[in-house]
Amino acid sequence: MQKGLIQVTDSYERIVHWMLAISCLCLCVTGLGMMFQSFNFLGIIVGGLKNLKLVHNFTGLLFAVSLILAIRMWWKEAGVFVFPEDLDWFKTAGGYLWHVDKVAETGKYNPGQKMFFLTIAAFGVVMILTGLIMWFPTALPTDLVRWMYPLHALGFVVIFAFFFVHLYLGTIGNPGTVPAMITGWMDRGVLKKQHPGWLKEMEHNGTLIVSGEEKKSEAHGHH
Amino acid sequence: MAEKIKLYDDSKCTACRGCQLACKQWNALTASQTENRGTYQNPPSLAPNTFMLIHFQDYVDDKGNIKWLFRKEACMHCTDAACVTVCPSGALYYNKETKTVGLDHEKCIGCKECVAACPFEIPRYDAKTDKVYKCDMCQSRITSNLEPACVKACPTGALKWGLKETILKTAAKRAKDLGGDATTYGDKYVGGTHFMYVLKEKPAIYADIHKDPSVPWSVTIWKGWLKPLSLLAAGGVLGGAFFHYMIHGPKTPDAPNDGNDAGTTEGGK
Repeated sequence: MQKGLIQVTDSYERIVHWMLAISCLCLCVTGLGMMFQSFNFLGIIVGGLKNLKLVHNFTGLLFAVSLILAIRMWWKEAGVFVFPEDLDWFKTAGGYLWHVDKVAETGKYNPGQKMFFLTIAAFGVVMILTGLIMWFPTALPTDLVRWMYPLHALGFVVIFAFFFVHLYLGTIGNPGTVPAMITGWMDRGVLKKQHPGWLKEMEHNGTLIVSGEEKKSEAHGHH
Repeated sequence: MAEKIKLYDDSKCTACRGCQLACKQWNALTASQTENRGTYQNPPSLAPNTFMLIHFQDYVDDKGNIKWLFRKEACMHCTDAACVTVCPSGALYYNKETKTVGLDHEKCIGCKECVAACPFEIPRYDAKTDKVYKCDMCQSRITSNLEPACVKACPTGALKWGLKETILKTAAKRAKDLGGDATTYGDKYVGGTHFMYVLKEKPAIYADIHKDPSVPWSVTIWKGWLKPLSLLAAGGVLGGAFFHYMIHGPKTPDAPNDGNDAGTTEGGK
């Protein structure tokens, strides 16, 4: 491995992230196949629309498990905002929308990422609950069941749109960030640009894991 | 084909239930074992094998008079049918020829979305076949210029099948002739139903009738607004990302040799 790379995610984190991503994408595609009759053809892949419904429902269970693991895993780092740096970051929109000389240095995840995480967590829970009721709609009163469908559709509107935001910002919008999800080792220069606060904190604590180096110790010279 | 609709006139109905039997016969529906519940209404409700039902009701009006009310319950064949709007597979559809609401069981995936959407609570789900069932206005008969089986069987003329304009006129005239609280029901809802009533009493007093049926708001928000919005929002994001990349550009790391921190970060200095 190239020397000097910094470990940003461990294998567990990456596996949970991929489980969430694959199940979510599968749900989007199979859901589209049922939401739009013009996408009914997507059912052909699995031998019919009825099977597409089954794939969708059971993938929903995998998504539920993945989401629970993801929320447990990321809550501390991405579930809560830290002030004042997160507010300062918001004031400059993270430097994404206009020229900013200095973007506030935030924790491991910046407030944009936190918002994304919280949105997926909240709407993910909505999708799971409404989806379960839609799976067994005769168990509850019709007046209640009726509203599960637009809620499920609302969750799809948000998650589907956010997926593309996430895809853009996680790839070409921020070059060098993809390895966080694949190998877990990121370039120091990218980190310095993207997560300077976290990098400094890790260096300060001596908890930074760098490829080709022994784990850093306090002896490195920071006080 | 000229648009035809079905009329049920409860003032002419003797509740012989010949229509119920004819419906079972034409549609080859099984009978169900039921129990005596102290009413002639049998089976107790619509079911996957019961597409229509005569309701029996003892009604005591405010003067203490007992009235025996009958009502035929079946798919109303809405012009603006919520079940067709929500059906994901096209199993529920408007028959282009007759304008009635057909149901193609080959396409039904048993999602039960129509069950929750129907403002008249008509479609019934059968767990054994994992499909939904309802009256299709005897599509096989009406497309061959025959009247629906229930109308064919009716001995009193309480059920009629005819041209929409004719039936609407007949119904209005009948309600007027009956006088009192008599009124029509169905023609004013969901774009006009293809099955309507003449009721001799106020609709509200009939048991289990739907007082002001309309396409549920949940269906309109879901299929009318959020469904198109899902693609628009995603498309908007893709377009937005494109322009963001072109105008603002990606957030690239600073060049490694631009100043004092070549490849390392010195803890906040």
